[in-house]
Amino acid sequence: MSTVEINGEARSLPDDLGQVRLLHVLRDHFGLKGTKFGCGVGLCGACTVHLDGQAVRSCQVPARAAIGRRVTTIEGLADTHRGANGRLHAVQEAWIAESVPQCGYCQAGQIMSAAALLARNPAPSDREVRSAMSGNLCRCGTYMRIRRAIRRAAESL
Amino acid sequence: MVGLTRRQFLERTGWLAIGSTAISSCSWMPIMPTFSAPDLEETLVWVQALPNGRIRFFCPKSEMGQGITTGLAQIVAEELNVETAEVEVVVPNTDQIPPATMTVGSQSVRELFEPLSNAAALLRETLRERAAREEGLDSSALRDGRGGFLTPDGRAIGYGQIVGVAELLEADPRRNGAMAGTLRRYALDPPAGECRQIGQRPRTAGLEAIVTGREVYSRDVVVPGMVHGRVVRSPRLRGKLGAVESAGALELSDVLDVVIDRDRNRVAVLAKNPFVLDRAVEALEVEWQGGEQRSQDDLDAELDVDRNIAGDGFEHTLLEEGDPEAAARRAVRTLHVRYDTSFMAHAAIEPRSGVVSVTEDRVEAWTASQDPWYMRSVLARTTGRSTGDVIVHNHRIGGAFGGRMLCQATEEAAWLSAGCGRPVRVQWTREDEFRDNYFQPPFSHRIDSGVTEDGRISHWVHDYTAGPILTGSTMVPDHLLWAVDLFEDPGSHQNVIPPYEVRDRRIRYSDVRLPVPTGAWRGLGAAPNTLAVEAAMDELAELAGADPIEFRLGHTRDPRLAGVLREVARISNWGGPVAPHRGRGVAATFYENATYVAVVIEVEVDPGSSRVRPVRAWCAHDCGRVINPDQVEAQVEGCIAWGCSMALFERVTLEGGGIGVENFHHYPILRQEQSPEIEISLVENPTHPPTGAGEPAIAPTPAALINAVYAATGQRIRRLPISLNRAA
Repeated sequence: MSTVEINGEARSLPDDLGQVRLLHVLRDHFGLKGTKFGCGVGLCGACTVHLDGQAVRSCQVPARAAIGRRVTTIEGLADTHRGANGRLHAVQEAWIAESVPQCGYCQAGQIMSAAALLARNPAPSDREVRSAMSGNLCRCGTYMRIRRAIRRAAESL
Repeated sequence: MVGLTRRQFLERTGWLAIGSTAISSCSWMPIMPTFSAPDLEETLVWVQALPNGRIRFFCPKSEMGQGITTGLAQIVAEELNVETAEVEVVVPNTDQIPPATMTVGSQSVRELFEPLSNAAALLRETLRERAAREEGLDSSALRDGRGGFLTPDGRAIGYGQIVGVAELLEADPRRNGAMAGTLRRYALDPPAGECRQIGQRPRTAGLEAIVTGREVYSRDVVVPGMVHGRVVRSPRLRGKLGAVESAGALELSDVLDVVIDRDRNRVAVLAKNPFVLDRAVEALEVEWQGGEQRSQDDLDAELDVDRNIAGDGFEHTLLEEGDPEAAARRAVRTLHVRYDTSFMAHAAIEPRSGVVSVTEDRVEAWTASQDPWYMRSVLARTTGRSTGDVIVHNHRIGGAFGGRMLCQATEEAAWLSAGCGRPVRVQWTREDEFRDNYFQPPFSHRIDSGVTEDGRISHWVHDYTAGPILTGSTMVPDHLLWAVDLFEDPGSHQNVIPPYEVRDRRIRYSDVRLPVPTGAWRGLGAAPNTLAVEAAMDELAELAGADPIEFRLGHTRDPRLAGVLREVARISNWGGPVAPHRGRGVAATFYENATYVAVVIEVEVDPGSSRVRPVRAWCAHDCGRVINPDQVEAQVEGCIAWGCSMALFERVTLEGGGIGVENFHHYPILRQEQSPEIEISLVENPTHPPTGAGEPAIAPTPAALINAVYAATGQRIRRLPISLNRAA
């Protein structure tokens, strides 16, 4: 049994799940369903979480890679940087203000990628936003609103 | 459904409290399963007033990101003088309301505006009557107030007070006949002169749940005691299950069973936890026999429109007017062009999933479908139960696009649960999603046309072949048959008739049965057909020496089509300067004879790599009266992204007898860095009833894009997805 810090809490990872990909352990062992499965091979970005603040595709990381490290999922994102209303992360607030989601399924991954981008680059150019967000697919076509929401969040941070 | 009385529906939705007298005396016909437009009385069960004064709305449509729960709540709120946010929207299970028409074809608002505003207005007037009776007043003495009424002396009576503490109230259908003719509907005739909810941009319901990860998709459902199944699939289409060696899989701890069902030609593993499924499938040795032997080249040849023209001709003549052959002699320049499109996938980001619990007396399912009542029938058949024993909980769909009529994973879970007696969860992988599904069929078009000396289209002869759409899916052959009767459009000829004036014209087509399952895909045949029509229009305009927008305007007298063409010219500054390596193209359509749309796309073509990028898009969109402009704009943005994606990337091929696409590396879709800046103008036409927005702008986008590529490069694209090297 090892320990993983998930959304600020120390959680025990059973040894036999160490080889299982982090995405499945988050969803089906820890019950954190906000992180989504889209492709299983790191091509769509729906499963994006933060590992020590860096955006990673949780479908590509074995759970044991998170031992002794900090995992942040969409459920815990707000605790890392509160926005103006004090409840949500600034990126989540911007997502609501710009009415980004349609079906919403890819949006947790989009938001986690956007939050990681703004944490390392608080004022990204349009080209930097497009490039950083290009690994997150959205079939509904919310891309333009995503760009707007990132600009809005950048202004509020 | 048969035999369920209205009273039973009311009880199940909590409408009927013990001792209530307002409803229980009503007689009610048994509700028959129906997929036609809801009848007036059925609609009355959708809206109810609660003792706490709130309005509850059972949304009869599936939510898949199109925002229908919000748009319809606005109509309810308008009639009942409350804020949209005060309407409690419930996505009902299949027991809570009578079957409602499936959620397809951008038809929800178009179909429900009338009956829903009527039902909500009737509820308002029923409440007014009851309040007046209590007050000893004539109902005309009670004025509207926010969330209730005002007495002549200015006292407010909230809906909650009228309903009472232990009773829920919905509109009284006995009043319906008496009141329907005179009922004032605020959605059409607002007391304040203009609507307060309709036409506004209230925030979509559930946004916070989505951005915080709390929204429960069908893939997130947990049922106590559930086990986990996965079906193993034949690499070839229609392979027959041969020998199965299951010992290796059964040796793994937590694997419960290997289920072999030769009647259904199916094999699956069943496990206590989901983590072992990958290894179990790997350890299973399954032999598949036979299956599809044809190649993609064979299918291309079968579909080849020119081969059909040279052969037996066409199955159907859709249109024949005047004498096209004689008229062709008036042409001073002629056009003889071919356009082809590919099999395409829905590629929703959520792979389908379901949990089903089959017990002795009932079947309970958690799924995400564009038609939960259809799923109920499917699950009843799979489990050998009557539909009355099946209850389906429908979840927000993580992308549907025509691909979620049937949620096959849920059907598989029902099959497994019926066998093992425990709740079973089946979650498709991305590979399942691509390889065991139905697709947009390919289209092959040939257009003969020309222009006269005075720049008019001389004639229009359009022959085409396509795989079947509404009659086509070999996966669900009989169940989709009812859908054929439902759609007003026959799928593969959606939008094939040009919205332009040409006197002498003929359109013929053949459905070609293909071994790859085909079915509904966003917009049905509209995008492949509009591609051919609007690319040919671009070429004709050039032959006539005319500007493409002026050429179209010269061939229509429809003011709304002209309206969107002029508007898109205005907002795009059409005819203005364009940067080097860039070009602009235009296309328009009258989608489903309901929504007018015109699109201009500006592309940039990298001179080195020939890579095409749509950098900007403009769209003028006239869907009549707009209920929620923000949602309409969101749908248009999505349609333009979809159309660009189709033009640039999308293609499914048959490889080795199976679907040659496993994951997104084989089937790229539009990415953030490829997505254009979009400017939308909603052409206000409030006197026309609302029509759809979820598909129309898809139709002209690929054509506008390839017309832009021509403007940038001088190369005509005649096959999608675009490959400049392969251009004719």
